[in-house]
Amino acid sequence: MIEEKDIIIVDEPDLSTTEKLYLPQVVQGLRTTFKHLFKKNITVQYPEVKREQRVENYRGVHRLNRDEKDRVACVACFMCQTACPANCIHIVAGESPWEDREKYPVQFDLDELRCIYCGMCEEACPVDAIELTPEYDIVGRSREEMVFDKEKLLAVFERTKDVKPRKNPRITGYAGTGDREQSSGNTEGEG
Amino acid sequence: MLELLKDQFTFSVILALVIVGILNGAVAYCIYFERKISAWLQDRVGPNRVGPLGLLQPLADGGKFVLKEDIIPANVDKPLFLFAPFMALVLGFIGFAILPWGGSVDLDGDGVVDVIAQVADPGIGILYLLGIGGLAVYGVVLGGWANNNKYAYFAAMRATAQMLSYEIPMGLCILIVVLTAGQIRLEEIVLAQVGNGNIWNICLHPVAFIILLTTVFAETNRTPFDLAEAEQELIGGYHTEYGALKFGMFFLGEYAHMITGSGMVIVLFLGGWHLPWIPGLQPEDVSIGAMLLKMSVFGAKIAVFLFFFMWVRWTLPRFRFDQLMRLSWKGLMPISLALMCYTSVLVYAGKATSLAWCLGGELGVVFIVLAINAMRTAPITGRQRNMPAITVHKPAGAP
Amino acid sequence: MPKIIIDGTEIEARDGVPVLQAALESGLDIPHYCYHPGLSIVASCRLCLMEMKLPHPQTKEMGWAPKLFPSCQTPVREGMEVRFGTEKVEANQKTCMEYFLLNHPLDCPVCDQAGECHLQDYSYKFGSAESRMYEQKQVNPKKDIGPKTLLYSDRCVMCTRCVRFANEVAGTGELCVTNRGGRAEIDVFPGVPLDNGMQGNVVDICPVGALLDKDFMFKQRVWFLKGGDSICPGCSTGCAIRVDSNENVVHRLKPRFNPGVNDWWMCDAGRFDFKYVHDVKRIAKPRLRRGQESDTPDWSEIPDIVRYRFEQHIARRGGASVAVVLSPMMANEEAWLLATYIRSLAPEATLLLGHVPIEGEDERYPVGCNDDDAKFTINNEKCPNRRGVEMLIEQLGGSTCAFEVFAKKCADGEFTAAWVVGGYPKGWPTKDLTKSVKKCELLVAQDIFENELTGEAEIVLPACAWVERDGSFTNAGGKIQPFERAIDPIQGARRDGQYLFEIAGNEGLYSGERVREMMADKMAAYANVAEAPLKPAHQH
Repeated sequence: MIEEKDIIIVDEPDLSTTEKLYLPQVVQGLRTTFKHLFKKNITVQYPEVKREQRVENYRGVHRLNRDEKDRVACVACFMCQTACPANCIHIVAGESPWEDREKYPVQFDLDELRCIYCGMCEEACPVDAIELTPEYDIVGRSREEMVFDKEKLLAVFERTKDVKPRKNPRITGYAGTGDREQSSGNTEGEG
Repeated sequence: MLELLKDQFTFSVILALVIVGILNGAVAYCIYFERKISAWLQDRVGPNRVGPLGLLQPLADGGKFVLKEDIIPANVDKPLFLFAPFMALVLGFIGFAILPWGGSVDLDGDGVVDVIAQVADPGIGILYLLGIGGLAVYGVVLGGWANNNKYAYFAAMRATAQMLSYEIPMGLCILIVVLTAGQIRLEEIVLAQVGNGNIWNICLHPVAFIILLTTVFAETNRTPFDLAEAEQELIGGYHTEYGALKFGMFFLGEYAHMITGSGMVIVLFLGGWHLPWIPGLQPEDVSIGAMLLKMSVFGAKIAVFLFFFMWVRWTLPRFRFDQLMRLSWKGLMPISLALMCYTSVLVYAGKATSLAWCLGGELGVVFIVLAINAMRTAPITGRQRNMPAITVHKPAGAP
Repeated sequence: MPKIIIDGTEIEARDGVPVLQAALESGLDIPHYCYHPGLSIVASCRLCLMEMKLPHPQTKEMGWAPKLFPSCQTPVREGMEVRFGTEKVEANQKTCMEYFLLNHPLDCPVCDQAGECHLQDYSYKFGSAESRMYEQKQVNPKKDIGPKTLLYSDRCVMCTRCVRFANEVAGTGELCVTNRGGRAEIDVFPGVPLDNGMQGNVVDICPVGALLDKDFMFKQRVWFLKGGDSICPGCSTGCAIRVDSNENVVHRLKPRFNPGVNDWWMCDAGRFDFKYVHDVKRIAKPRLRRGQESDTPDWSEIPDIVRYRFEQHIARRGGASVAVVLSPMMANEEAWLLATYIRSLAPEATLLLGHVPIEGEDERYPVGCNDDDAKFTINNEKCPNRRGVEMLIEQLGGSTCAFEVFAKKCADGEFTAAWVVGGYPKGWPTKDLTKSVKKCELLVAQDIFENELTGEAEIVLPACAWVERDGSFTNAGGKIQPFERAIDPIQGARRDGQYLFEIAGNEGLYSGERVREMMADKMAAYANVAEAPLKPAHQH
């Protein structure tokens, strides 16, 4: 509820006598814009020139990380799907073929067209398996093509792992005791 | 061949064809420059992908206009819907007919003036331009009506009211020039300015010039007077339902209008093809070379004006409709009327071409206007006095 | 009704219940794991301890006793005073929670119980955020304890609910506690897997993620599921269930508390036999035979077509030639709509109860108990609503006959128009039945799967699975129990109730409640339906 005292009614300003002629203002405006005729362009000629990018926190295309044994790091916990405000993640979980892991994603579909690139999935992921990469120039010829499946997302990891290594590579899941390893000192992979 | 050319009719036909050909291209490139200039004014690059420097952009745009699906919505008034874009374009172009492009020409060099470099030189002269200007509103009004769309119709109504309002100060300003020159044929008005010791009318009547310029902006529906196509309020205005080539015609029509309007202002106030003291640009130079030179000078002046049009468009925001009306009826109209009366007196007194008297009068009128303004309590754009007073709450600490 | 004072507030408790139950019923959230109202009390989790006022041994003066008492094991007494909101009680809860989590793997992200796990809930509410345990946690890999159930021992809190359930309710006693102290764990005896007709309940009563259902394993996270209050159609016991679905797919069924019918339990047959709902072979569209051609009419045409064909037939052959076979798979409302519709066309038409699938004998649990001591009964009538359809035919009166007689009369040419409703999950019409019913000139088959009968029918109407319908079933005990729709019908189909509603000449949307009101005008029995309590009397 807006309080009466919070409402500010701004009346039109009283123009001075010369201002009422409009002309001084018009001339002033024209002068301002004219100056810009000779200023340096700020346009970047995109495909030829690319801007320098921030790697750590740029929110581009997603990737699914692989762990050190080259398996998909995802444990199919659905946290990203739960956190996703755009409902663009669809996971089908299955029993993992590996000893140290309960679940793994049989299917992992991410609709890059529905996605709003908010990065909530990355925040939610308990094993840092899904991450947003600095890659932003994705194109497709159909909507179906833009629904990235597991293979495509892993391929993004292959493309970007040199630029942006996986955040906490040592945490791979819930092996044995299920306890996460001590997370201290695991951040050197950043940057 | 030369004999044939010496016939004014043949010459006019050829000239018309040449001018329409050139202007068609010029109009297309106006769009290119509009985009370029807007980009430059905003520290951008503008179109630069199609051809070198993006120079083939108009061709690509044109191709796109031609190739796009031409939709005629189901509910439109079909005949008018088809007719309105032609109206807009044709009325934009036929104004060129009486612009004096290059003065008199002696084609064979025998010292006798054979033809004048003007497509038509009717006796009514400037009245023809006023007539065209009056008709031009039909393109917009018919388009808006035929759309069968309430926003388009609003746009049409706005356009009508705007054109009616601004035609009055425009006519009065033209009258000032006509009174000064004593002529209504455009070529004669140019010659009169040259004859007046190379003093163009802009020196005699700067205030009238500014008013005329303002009204030309309004007549051509350019910013800051483009209320008829206000996207934010009217989803595009009178051409909301138009697409493909028909929209392109409206688009071209607007720029053709700008060229006509600039030509008119140049002829009336800036000496047309004339530049003082430069040989080849004087009335007595009648060779073919002089004609071409005069045409180029006229074209260059138009180009400067077009630049000014675009510059203003990317500088000033749009007027509100009530401000627009108030500006015309309460501002431009009384001033131009006063100037016109004063000029009539000068003409009666034989001082019509006196720099001192004219300038003095103009300054006097401006001064009187300022004085009246200063004494008025209601601001020109403010609230009506019969509206309830507003209390302004200011939060603590606000400036 | 004894009055007791909990935390200074006087509440009324039921006779003979433990203080914990009274507190829970009064709306307090007292943490507890081992207590379950349907099982014996062991007071082993120590989470529900409370402070109680007792007379001083010497002075006989009433005062707060220095030790804590398990509220689940203390029956209510008139005027007793207890409290939960004290530092002592809270400290106990906190300590208990820390112990429960000592060896817990904290693998909530991959645990199927997450979201409905009381270890999670109580940790948030009563536990502490950090563990002081720094030794290696005990590793206890998952065990396959039965064909349908998995045991994750390291998530277990040793509440022994499952052991007690197997002993007391199922009566099969496959589960036991092996080892002692910190190494204690649940297990099955060698060579005796957990495999009885009720074993699915151990997953429901497990307060943590230790016992999990293989069928539901990894299918969905529970917070995506939407529950629909339904009644199990598997037999005429009429268990109240919750249908958990997501995006129109049923993922699991869970029992709802329904005193006197199924209490807290349901059988495995009912729990897992819903897969036919998503069978791709289901009939999805109405079908119509016009001459030799088979046609799929639009739903909007169906009422007129049906009425026209029946009117024509009745004009030719008379109303007595019409028979309606009402399936015991139908809801009362649907049966009523169909019966009254046909009677409105032909008052002399015959209404009869259709095929009642019977499998063996009633199964009673605990296994081997006397009939009177049974805690749970699986009825041998594998249909939910035989009683209801019988009652309805009785109430409506008029001509009726047995199902066998119907087949004979069809064969004899006495019935020349029949509307046969099926809807059974398993194939039902016998060759003989089809042979005799085939002789009908006008045959309407309303069924869920294609069979011989639908192949012969003039008009085929798709029947929906119960999760797609709403209405009420009357169970073997005569209780009319409403159920609601959990998911939308499959693409192309409409709810039986909806098209019968429209065929009967009504406009608008069918709802079981609306039709029950119409029925109650004529039959008072339908005015009162037995809703299962919305909230169970215990927390979990």
